[in-house]
Amino acid sequence: MMRSLFLMLLLLFSSATWAENTANNLVLATAPIDRSDMASIKRGAKFFSSNCMACHTLIYLRYDKVAQEAGITLDKMPINVANWPFGIKPPDLSLEVSIRGVDWIYTYLHSFYQDASRPTGMNNLLVLNTAMSGILAPYQGDQVLAKNKISVGILYNDTNWYDLLVLTKQGSMTPEQFDATTADLVNFLAYAAEPFYEEQHHLGWWVLGFLSILFVMMYFLKREYWKDVKKHKE
Amino acid sequence: MTEKVASKKNSLMTWIDKRYPLTDFWEKHLSKYYAPRNFNFWYFFGSFSLLVFVMQIVTGIWLVMEYTPTGGESFASVQHIMREVRYGWLLRFMHTTGASAFFVVVYLHMYRGLIYGSYQKPRELVWLMGMVIYFALLLEAFTGYVLPWGQMSYWGAAVITSFASAIPYLGEQLLIWLRGDFNVSGVTLHRFFSLHIIAIPFFLAALIFVHLVALHHVGSNNPDGIEIKNKKDKDGVPLDGIPFHPYYTVKDLVGVVVFLFVFSIVVFFVPTMGGYFIEHDNFIPANPMVTPLEISPVWYMTPFYAMLRAIPNKFMGLITMGAAVAIMFVLPWLDRSRVRSIRYKGKLSKIAIVIFVISFIGLGYLGSEPVSTVRTILARIFTVAYFAFFLFMPIYTFMEKTKPLPERVT
Repeated sequence: MMRSLFLMLLLLFSSATWAENTANNLVLATAPIDRSDMASIKRGAKFFSSNCMACHTLIYLRYDKVAQEAGITLDKMPINVANWPFGIKPPDLSLEVSIRGVDWIYTYLHSFYQDASRPTGMNNLLVLNTAMSGILAPYQGDQVLAKNKISVGILYNDTNWYDLLVLTKQGSMTPEQFDATTADLVNFLAYAAEPFYEEQHHLGWWVLGFLSILFVMMYFLKREYWKDVKKHKE
Repeated sequence: MTEKVASKKNSLMTWIDKRYPLTDFWEKHLSKYYAPRNFNFWYFFGSFSLLVFVMQIVTGIWLVMEYTPTGGESFASVQHIMREVRYGWLLRFMHTTGASAFFVVVYLHMYRGLIYGSYQKPRELVWLMGMVIYFALLLEAFTGYVLPWGQMSYWGAAVITSFASAIPYLGEQLLIWLRGDFNVSGVTLHRFFSLHIIAIPFFLAALIFVHLVALHHVGSNNPDGIEIKNKKDKDGVPLDGIPFHPYYTVKDLVGVVVFLFVFSIVVFFVPTMGGYFIEHDNFIPANPMVTPLEISPVWYMTPFYAMLRAIPNKFMGLITMGAAVAIMFVLPWLDRSRVRSIRYKGKLSKIAIVIFVISFIGLGYLGSEPVSTVRTILARIFTVAYFAFFLFMPIYTFMEKTKPLPERVT
């Protein structure tokens, strides 16, 4: 009986791994961000306002303090542009981190490559045939698919974006600078999605601390009262 | 306390007691409600459920102050709460975490009843009322999940209301009547809002009240499943009973603090629980034109959703899903054991419980994953096991050899 139960459980979990193997699994790089680093968030905001805001809105950020300091205001945003190329409206990014996560965006921004077959001349490993143009290419430089690795294919799991792409011409930033800049940008987007994050975590520690003290008090209160219950047991 | 103050207090209480049975109520339900002294860990979850209910009502009242229940504005109004209302994020995360926490504690509370036979005579009505509460809670959670008007809200509502269309003949009309429109729309949202904040909470409050009245009338069961009322002292107080207040109030307070600690970890550090408490796709505003790749309900409904998907015929799937909930209602009449508690039941009952738990958790897991051939087969096996647990209960509980019951609680 127990053996068949064990077998059932084993099947259950192994079925989960099978499914993952069949999906397009580019390993997401870990975004090196510190969400309490306000300077990084502001740098990201500045970069966003001069590079991304031509197409992307942040409608829920409003006239937030950090955004204001970095020069982000709603009236500059392309909310009312009628005709987007290819008919695809660039998404609003105020909740992008809640939807995709920081690692996804960080990886996405790194994994653009040259593809002459696309109208924009660019393609992306994470979102095949993405409509987004290579707006970051002047900073990152030109990347191409490593021909000898195509046979490995992006349909295989456990491949990082840098296993599949080769930098053929460096842009205005070194790879380290580009990593830092995209990290700042992702950090800012994380802030845009959850501006309460710092307050939430700060308050959280106080609440847990308070509950810990309360626990000790309640525990001894209970022990005091329950002393006589043991007496009942004679 | 000086004599003067004491007499003053007594005279006030006398004045009230002549007009309202306040002291009677206090004694009947707290200071002279005798609960068995051997409650263990599992007995915390009833109190926790009540706590979460109160918390949901209170945070809900504040959320409604800033929330707008219209198709055009509800998504943005939730973001308004999260960003511009002071501690709005806290209220909302307490409410969303509270929804999942409610099901965690209610499932554990039900499991307690299951293993210690708390549904057996004379507590059948306590169990039945509890089951109605559970059902109302599912409706409350479903209507609440629609309100943020994200993609999962919208498509979850579309899928669940579409169940009505599987009913022969009446289905299509019923569907339109439920949604108030030809599709899920702002009209649907608005009526779900009404149900979520008025109708179901009222109903729940009344149900919780009668659940407790019934419980206090028959008295609490205990891990040994024996009646403490059978052994009383000369004053009529059960020998193994202790007053609920102060003994269990102070004990529950310890539990409440531990519960709030775990609850706070979620609220302050992982409020979406990696997509289990708030699904990632629900941060995308509702869009009737774009169907998400995977529509799955929140975790507490996935066991039943897995059953639905495991059955090829939609109508039969619905029947199965309904039967899975319905069969829990008749549990008191399925158990024919001479003892209540799992401690004194035989081997068969113990094996059955293990199979049941594995099936239920297994179904819950499968219901939150995309469909595959292996998963469908597993879901079918678990569905059969789930029903077998109930359907064969009259047989295995009757034929198995039970252990002798102790005289007094252990």
